[in-house]
Amino acid sequence: MNAPADNPVLAATGIEKSFPGVRALSNVSIELRPGEVVGLVGENGAGKSTLMKILSGVYQPDAGEIRLAGKPTRFASAADATRHGVGMVFQEQSLLLNLTVGENIYLGNEAQFTRFGLVNWRAVYASAARQLAKVQVNVDPRTRAATLDFATRQMVELAKALTLEEHASGRLVILLDEPTSVLERAEVEVLFARVRALKARASFIFVSHRLSEVVELSDRIYVMKDGAVVAELQAAEVDVKTLHRLMVGRGLQAEYYREPLQRPFGDDVVLELEGLGRGDAYRDVSLKLHAGEILGIAGVLGSGREELTRSLAGLLPHDRGRLRVGGREVRLSTPADAVDVELGYVPRERRVEGLVLFLSVAANITLPSLGDIARRGLIDLGEERKLAKSWVERLRVRTPGVDALCLNLSGGNQQKVVLAKWLNAKVRILILDHPTRGLDVGAKEEVYELVRAITNEGVAVILISDTLEETIGLSHTVLVMRDGVVTHRTSANPGAKPLQVDLIGHMV
Amino acid sequence: MRTRIARLEFDRIRQWMPIVTLALLVAFVGVFQPGFLEPTTLMQLASDTAVLFVLATGVTFVIMIGGIDLSIQSMASLASVIVALTVSRWGYAAFAFAIAAGILAGFLSGVAHVRLKVPSFIATLAMGGVLLSAALVLSKERSITLQTSERGYQTWITGTLLGVPNVIVIALVVLAVAHTIQSRTRFGRYSAAIGAGEPAAYASGVKVDGQKIIALVLSATCAALAGVILAGRLASGSPTLASELLLPSIAAVVVGGTAITGGVGSIWRTLIGALIISVVRIGMTFLGINIFAQNIAFGAVLIAAVAVTIDRSKIPIVK
Repeated sequence: MNAPADNPVLAATGIEKSFPGVRALSNVSIELRPGEVVGLVGENGAGKSTLMKILSGVYQPDAGEIRLAGKPTRFASAADATRHGVGMVFQEQSLLLNLTVGENIYLGNEAQFTRFGLVNWRAVYASAARQLAKVQVNVDPRTRAATLDFATRQMVELAKALTLEEHASGRLVILLDEPTSVLERAEVEVLFARVRALKARASFIFVSHRLSEVVELSDRIYVMKDGAVVAELQAAEVDVKTLHRLMVGRGLQAEYYREPLQRPFGDDVVLELEGLGRGDAYRDVSLKLHAGEILGIAGVLGSGREELTRSLAGLLPHDRGRLRVGGREVRLSTPADAVDVELGYVPRERRVEGLVLFLSVAANITLPSLGDIARRGLIDLGEERKLAKSWVERLRVRTPGVDALCLNLSGGNQQKVVLAKWLNAKVRILILDHPTRGLDVGAKEEVYELVRAITNEGVAVILISDTLEETIGLSHTVLVMRDGVVTHRTSANPGAKPLQVDLIGHMV
Repeated sequence: MRTRIARLEFDRIRQWMPIVTLALLVAFVGVFQPGFLEPTTLMQLASDTAVLFVLATGVTFVIMIGGIDLSIQSMASLASVIVALTVSRWGYAAFAFAIAAGILAGFLSGVAHVRLKVPSFIATLAMGGVLLSAALVLSKERSITLQTSERGYQTWITGTLLGVPNVIVIALVVLAVAHTIQSRTRFGRYSAAIGAGEPAAYASGVKVDGQKIIALVLSATCAALAGVILAGRLASGSPTLASELLLPSIAAVVVGGTAITGGVGSIWRTLIGALIISVVRIGMTFLGINIFAQNIAFGAVLIAAVAVTIDRSKIPIVK
């Protein structure tokens, strides 16, 4: 129970984890001491979520060791991890909205209140009220979760994690995965105050993209990059800028984003937005996109850039303003409308919206443009194979053949198939929604090279990306959005790229 | 990597399982009843399979897309009633009426499914009720026997072509057309894409709603054709003529190896599945199993086939 202060509550050493085609973690070691809040930062794809999933028992590491209070431990499952006192507060909140707060807190753990198969709900709610008191949340445990605001739900999640105290011996470890991403500043402060007050009960690992918050709340900070821990710092001695530099830390940036291949774009306006808006998501967005131009949109979660790109893809139609493609006013109510005006969408959820995983490479490539290879209503299968083969060759897709299911390809090759699909459909506008998410460095470079080649052939691109660095590196023009409106616009010519810090000022 | 290779091997074996099963069943029944393997008996088997195959072919289109059609048996029965009631006055047009009723019913279930966002199993369950009642009302709840004078219009079903029963010829035409639709048309490709990954198909510009309506129209049209054939073979129309055929039809599709969750399958597999069901049926008759007890076997076969063919690594949650 009373581990010496220098003995870590949790220590992971030499953790390795690979997925097909991706080495997610290599030789990662971190430790967490009693009463400590440890920050974990890194870009998307740096390996943070994989590490959290290993620490919470969702994944098993390929190699390495986890010690709890000095004892080597293996978590067979997430449930097993909670039995050992390791709980997770998820970024996508895991409360079931149709259930009450009390039911949520004890979901799956009702046995202690159950006799002869009947749950003593009075006891559940009394106990839930005690849990809520720990986090100082003043709601009736009989309230439905749906009626609570995001901040309160997050507190309830925390209270739920604290129920582990009742079963686990030893100290609790609570993993906070982006707990502030949907909270307002005042709510964040309340959450932080609660976390600090709970340090006597538990140690925390805090994952967030908001670097200032990480510096504010943490005692120590680990920086991850490309699947490895690249720095361990005392929070008191570090600032946001240093953290950011360590996260990105990459030489030869210009080369990485193929800036020498960036050519000036032409005068043809292929897409024009005029006062475009949709509900509360975004409003008054006006822009012109030219043939051969890459227009990057920067912004934090809630800036409206995600919704804007989905509107352009026909997945989330706009309800105000005008949209012109090649000078003609259009309405994109469905993706089919977008395809009709030669606009393609490379989605963030590659395996869900990008590809039909259980169809072949060839069938995926021809899916949006099957009409082009149909003769009298019948698909010309020979023509289809020929086309698919030529794309596989041109984009160097590593696949056993064009008949292989997309399921079996690595992430980078899957993304190439998505791009091939739109190139084969001869689109003139391509929306890239986080095009390199989850790809390793080599695959990213191939995608960048491809995007350069496409734009140099006159295709126009709208890009939203996980990292500012990628947005700046690839784009000809960068737009910044905040709270649904465009706050800044700048050109990004090779050799005269805007600085990240300048853009961040317009983002938050 | 090794497990993946093992998986691929297993997938390949699984692909051949239906045809191996069929061969084993035929051999098994042949050993106990040598007469079974004679050409005339086999021809009889093929004739008896035709109706089941046509029904199962229609529902294959819907299952491919990830849906289900529970109204096919009612549609087939209604079609038989329509034929029996109208053939004396309208002649060959009676068959067109029956087929038109199928197209309309399929279109209505399709619209309910995609426009009102009702799951296909509910939309077609409800449509099945409507069609059954329509058949009962139209026929005044009785079986209508075709008069001798009306049977002349049925020779395209009951006759033979170069010694081959016409029903087999009709079934082969259905096979050729349906296989072409499934493997060579945009609808066929789109329906596989929707069944295997609807969000990606939609985001690629596939007009998903239209394809779903087409699938349900094809299913109901095939059901109507099956009803027409049945009416010809039995020389009667009845509101319950095909009521026992829903279970064997779906079993035929799944036993053939088409995934009940959609995306993977073919009309050939449905043909194999329908033949398996027919051989099992005949085998049971040889074994002296009560004909009314046979759906016990088909129910068990359906559950077993789904349990064996469903790939749990891809579909962890089944509702």
